[in-house]
Amino acid sequence: MSVSALVPLGLLLAAPDPQATAPATQAPVTAPAHEAPTSQPAPPAEAVPATAAAAPEQSRHVRHAPGDPLEGFNRAMFSFNTSLDKAIVRPAAMGYKTVVPRPARSGLRNALANLNEPVVFLNDVLQLKPGNAFRTFSRFLINSVFGLAGLFDVANHEGLPHRKNGLGNTLGRYGVKSGPYLYLPVLGPSSLRDAVGGVGDGAVLPNAVGEPFDRTDYRIGTAVVSGLDARVQYDSEIKTLYDTSLDPYATLRSVYQQSRAADIAAITGKPEASPDDTMEDDLKDPAASPEAAPVQSPPAGTTAPEATPTEAAPPPPDATLPKAAPSAGPK
Amino acid sequence: MTADPSRMRPLASGIVFGLALASASAIHAQTPDPAQAPVQMLCDRLIANMKGGAQLGFSGRAAAIGPVVDRAFDLPLMTRLTIGPQWNTIGASDQSALVSAIRKLTVNQYAANFDSYDGQRFTVDPKVEARGADRLVRTSLIQRKDQPVAIGYRLRQSGNGWKIIDVYYQNSISQLATRRSDFARVFQTGGAKALLKHLDDLANRAGH
Repeated sequence: MSVSALVPLGLLLAAPDPQATAPATQAPVTAPAHEAPTSQPAPPAEAVPATAAAAPEQSRHVRHAPGDPLEGFNRAMFSFNTSLDKAIVRPAAMGYKTVVPRPARSGLRNALANLNEPVVFLNDVLQLKPGNAFRTFSRFLINSVFGLAGLFDVANHEGLPHRKNGLGNTLGRYGVKSGPYLYLPVLGPSSLRDAVGGVGDGAVLPNAVGEPFDRTDYRIGTAVVSGLDARVQYDSEIKTLYDTSLDPYATLRSVYQQSRAADIAAITGKPEASPDDTMEDDLKDPAASPEAAPVQSPPAGTTAPEATPTEAAPPPPDATLPKAAPSAGPK
Repeated sequence: MTADPSRMRPLASGIVFGLALASASAIHAQTPDPAQAPVQMLCDRLIANMKGGAQLGFSGRAAAIGPVVDRAFDLPLMTRLTIGPQWNTIGASDQSALVSAIRKLTVNQYAANFDSYDGQRFTVDPKVEARGADRLVRTSLIQRKDQPVAIGYRLRQSGNGWKIIDVYYQNSISQLATRRSDFARVFQTGGAKALLKHLDDLANRAGH
């Protein structure tokens, strides 16, 4: 009944959302919706450490993955968020779910998303997408008037669904690369470009409108509400992430990066380079590389030799990103 | 006979025209790209599994989907691509164990995820795209209560037919890329043996 036997469905939905969290993003600090990825308790604890336990010393020598030069910091933040989620965020979100009835939760979610539509509109314009800008404008108007200040998403039923858009996309549209992957405390997965974009988006309303958007209590209040709401919405997805991955941190990173590359590609119409892009990769069979045959026999059947080449190997993949990786050869 | 409509009686020209149309559409109907076949087979089996659902039970669904996975996917190639260049540093017995582990994981995840039926169906896009020498077949899982889910398959020629080598969720998230990323650390720190153990755990987790 669920869908992706292959790719953990939930996290796929959850990951792109950091961007979607834009609704929550009046305040830059706000997007706690990003906490979503943070996460669910039990399984993770086993998942990652189990790995480390397999080879505690070697793990120190593992180089960062392509597209993740700050992996050490990011992983530390990931485990920080995991603990935070376990201790505070998830329990609070479940409390929010129990106390606030569903219609009220969706009303708040819609209203906050509606308040962010002007930011989406601005980015549509900056991206030179008049059609999108018109749709966003119509949506904002319809929901503000007929949706009782955005509490009801009437426009969605009129074929004008909410579209995620923000400064991160606009920067990407004009060729700004994503920069290093960032896993931010509380906020979750991002990149240098998307983090800067989030700050920019968050500054729009406070500067353009002022009250109440520039008030700290308003920013914190809306941040908390949208963060808890997102945590409730993605609860099962987050569980899926942990249940279906060996390394939830790396899985989430991959999904985030692929999904953001797809967002940018949808705007520019050309593929966006992503360290995890297989779509544009010719996917050469490693066994077909010239080194394949000779190398294959000596290290047969042992674990140790596999670990050694690892330390030597990362440079080529790092330098070339995955595209060339398969042909780069093991040594 | 040369078909010069101006010389033919209307009836005859109508027949010729009709035949032309019929043969054109027959050609069209006969040309579903061969790359679609394994995808269609997988989609059909998944729907059958969902309909069989609880009656089949997990092991029944796994037994039913297993042979389909073997025929539709190029599991050895998918495993090699997932590991990357370091594949060539792995001993032969571990290599074949890894292929079996990926198979078990794939089968178990299909058996676990496609477990009950609520009016879902797959549509397979008749338009097949070329990706270099590979083919891309797009499908959509139509659901009654939720938005359709786009699932794309990348296929490579293998022997006489085509086999799936990657699966794309919502046309953008590659299963291969996600697995590469997911497995990399375990493989780098613990080698093939550690990865085998973890894959087995993961497959068993899906199975309960």
